[in-house]
Amino acid sequence: MPGTTASESVTPGRTFSELRRALVEARRAWSSRAWLGTAVFTAALLLPLVLPRDVAVDRLAHYAYLAAAAVALGLLVGPGGMPSLCQGVFVGLGAVISARLGSVPLLVALACATAVAALAGAAVGAGFARLRAVYLAVATWLIAWGFALALLASPRIVGGAEGVVVGPGRVAGVDLTPTVHYELGVVLVLVAVLGTASVRRSALGLQLEGVGVTPAGALALGVPRGAARTRAFALSAALAGLAGALAVHLALVADPAAYGPLLSFQLLVACLVGGAASPVGPVVGIALVALMGPAGEAVGRLTGAETARFGAMLSALLLVAVLASGTGGIVPAIETRLRARSRRAAPEAPAERQARAGEPLAAQGLVKRFGEHVALAGLDLDLEPGRITALVGPNGSGKSTALRLLSGGLVADEGRVRLAEHVLDALPARERVRLGIVRTLQRPPAFTGMTALDAVAVGAAADRPARAGRAFFATPAARAGGRRARADALFALDAVGLREAAGRRCDELTGAERQLVAIAAALATKPVVLLLDEPAAGAGAQEVAHLGDVLRSLRGDGLTVLVVEHNLRLVHDVADTVVVLDRGAILARGSPTDVADDPRVRAAYLGRAVPVADDDI
Amino acid sequence: MSVALQVAITGLAAGGVYGLVAVGYSLVFRLTGTIAFAFGDLIGLGVFATLLVAVGTGPVSQTSVGGARYALAVLCGLLICVAVGVAGYLLVVEPFLLRGSTVGWIAGTLALAFALRAVLQSVFPREAYVFPDPIPFERLGTDGFVEIGGASIQIRAFYVIAVAIGLALGAVWLLERTRIGRGLRAIAEDADGARLVGVPVDLFVPIAFGLVGAIAALAAIVASPSAPVTVETWPLVGVKGLAAAAVARFVLPWPALVAGLGLGVAEAAVAEVHVGSLQPGAGWSALLPLGLALAVLAARPPDDARDDGE
Repeated sequence: MPGTTASESVTPGRTFSELRRALVEARRAWSSRAWLGTAVFTAALLLPLVLPRDVAVDRLAHYAYLAAAAVALGLLVGPGGMPSLCQGVFVGLGAVISARLGSVPLLVALACATAVAALAGAAVGAGFARLRAVYLAVATWLIAWGFALALLASPRIVGGAEGVVVGPGRVAGVDLTPTVHYELGVVLVLVAVLGTASVRRSALGLQLEGVGVTPAGALALGVPRGAARTRAFALSAALAGLAGALAVHLALVADPAAYGPLLSFQLLVACLVGGAASPVGPVVGIALVALMGPAGEAVGRLTGAETARFGAMLSALLLVAVLASGTGGIVPAIETRLRARSRRAAPEAPAERQARAGEPLAAQGLVKRFGEHVALAGLDLDLEPGRITALVGPNGSGKSTALRLLSGGLVADEGRVRLAEHVLDALPARERVRLGIVRTLQRPPAFTGMTALDAVAVGAAADRPARAGRAFFATPAARAGGRRARADALFALDAVGLREAAGRRCDELTGAERQLVAIAAALATKPVVLLLDEPAAGAGAQEVAHLGDVLRSLRGDGLTVLVVEHNLRLVHDVADTVVVLDRGAILARGSPTDVADDPRVRAAYLGRAVPVADDDI
Repeated sequence: MSVALQVAITGLAAGGVYGLVAVGYSLVFRLTGTIAFAFGDLIGLGVFATLLVAVGTGPVSQTSVGGARYALAVLCGLLICVAVGVAGYLLVVEPFLLRGSTVGWIAGTLALAFALRAVLQSVFPREAYVFPDPIPFERLGTDGFVEIGGASIQIRAFYVIAVAIGLALGAVWLLERTRIGRGLRAIAEDADGARLVGVPVDLFVPIAFGLVGAIAALAAIVASPSAPVTVETWPLVGVKGLAAAAVARFVLPWPALVAGLGLGVAEAAVAEVHVGSLQPGAGWSALLPLGLALAVLAARPPDDARDDGE
């Protein structure tokens, strides 16, 4: 907190100028964004004082609660990349439970409602969050309808068409009037915005964003997709449940019709219109959705239609218009326009290099068949710390299969893989990353929209504890987790010579730079064995030379390195041992010069001599 | 016996429509990788457009429509269905597909769904409407009902089942035997390859989008006179059809069709369960297709193989 910094630096006897400097520092830390936020929040709290009489404060309170639920959904839709279509279910669940518990103290009812919603969110997450976006959307859509049908089918629980009537709540001797609800709602929105912003910065946020933006890349780095997404779902549902539980005491009735698929859709609209990439985007979105109601009524009056159903239609049109603009929502569009996209100050790298020493990785008699086709027919490999082994061979010779067997992407039909004394065999990829075996992908993951630093930090955050609650309440441990992941990331970027690119967006990087970012992300997992899949693909001569320098320095750190590569210049440049594969079997093995002189190798490469100095064969 | 027969007839009549919707969802999914969330509302549009042309928005009795006007109404309904389907695809699906934005087409088709529903609700504000029936079924049997093995069954139901299953078989025939169908399946297998061998992909996909909606809408129009219709009916039918498609893992054409029929019958069976004088399944039966679909989705392996980037 800036305030504490200021007061700590001021001790009796210090001069006025020092006090002023402390104040200036505090002001600098308290960014313009924070000022704006404080001003908007204060204005929102004071709004009921200046409200015109025809604007009902209970409508505003209602939308404040919806905004909190939308902000919670933004965590799933934005960094998580999960199009959840059942956020309204958690709001409804919170509302129904809190309404049914009308006889217990309100705080207890709220706690129960929040807990049940969180459990429901965790269940939805555990069941479906590992699926692709399409299937996740289908599943959550079915859940939204299922919940609505279940409410209709159980009139005893929800009181039939009229719903459950609840009394206005009382907390600590204060009656919950609409104005009190409004103030509560605004505070809840603030807590949700700050909390989800904190989650986005934390290790959990890095895991979510990595897996949401580039699933393949994040999974290869060992990010626990299911666990991270389930936690996000539970947290988001808990917030929505709390908002619903409070809102029901405002509405004074739990009306089953209010918690149908339309509510879930409106919350999604708010996220997308406002922009889920920003924690405050959904709030702006809800404000616009709220305005669509009166606007729709006005259109209804003008056209003389019997019912005013135009609000939903206008929301839909607004959504399509914002989506078609391709800006990612209003708030992100404004931020881009103002160039205010925070390029967070790069954290300082830790003083000491803390790379782990490499460990030997050995494969014996690896066999892999795909149906009739034998991709690998008994491969033996010995990878040693401080040495670079290159695996080369024509297309279809089994290089990629070998790499995937070592990294755990595929399970061998026969043979063993050993890391030092560990027998790996059928160990899945994520467990191998934990042991220190990490691979890069042939096509470097895009990490669209993330800074290079954050993309690399996905690797550093993959194995960090990522509890949703701690991240939400920004506990010291959670904050340190995010900070340390970025510090490790900066260190890894330094190792590949890309430190100055830390603040740039990955989509602005060249292909070769993106490949280096991928290698840095792999390094950020603190590996003992690094498996590289064609790191020089598409790189120019200078970039290949730089890549060679990077690999040699990693070898100098004692890392065990295997590189599958077509670029024979790089192979000749860095490899200690070259293994040539042809049709699934080892054709030759030895130093780069020995192998290049081997006539069998020349024959395998299209039956012609291979000039080693050539760029790309 | 009589209960079983009643369940089978009710179930097949509903399940035929679910099956057609499931075939539609699966075809669109295979063609474009998208889920047309507006499917049910598109069917509703077809049904209510037909109603509008046939009798307007006022209350009607069942036989107050002439054959010619009814035929014209059905034609108009189907044309509107195709037109909105094609336009919807071009406006809210294709732009986002080209941009690779999954959340874009999901939200876009949902927006189309709720916009269609809002339009229908403002034109047809009454709780429920009676749909005209050009064929005088109520003159057959006892007020349109027939006694079979102790069960009293609406004669209309046989007609609805025949039409729904006929349309479903027609759709399967279209997919398996005709040039258009082979073209569509070629696109579903490999869009780029199909384009290379001269299948007009950019033309076929939007047409398929509109056509599957129209076929399902025709079945819905035929089924509509059996009971009062509401604007809320068809979105729910769309969701159940989506559930059937998910149960069949979006496999064309037989699994989707059979899943639809099966879920229709299962739903009717659950609704018929009697415990003493209570019918506990009545309200909950609609949840059965959804629950089964969720179970199938939850049992899917994680989508790693596709994500491996190889």
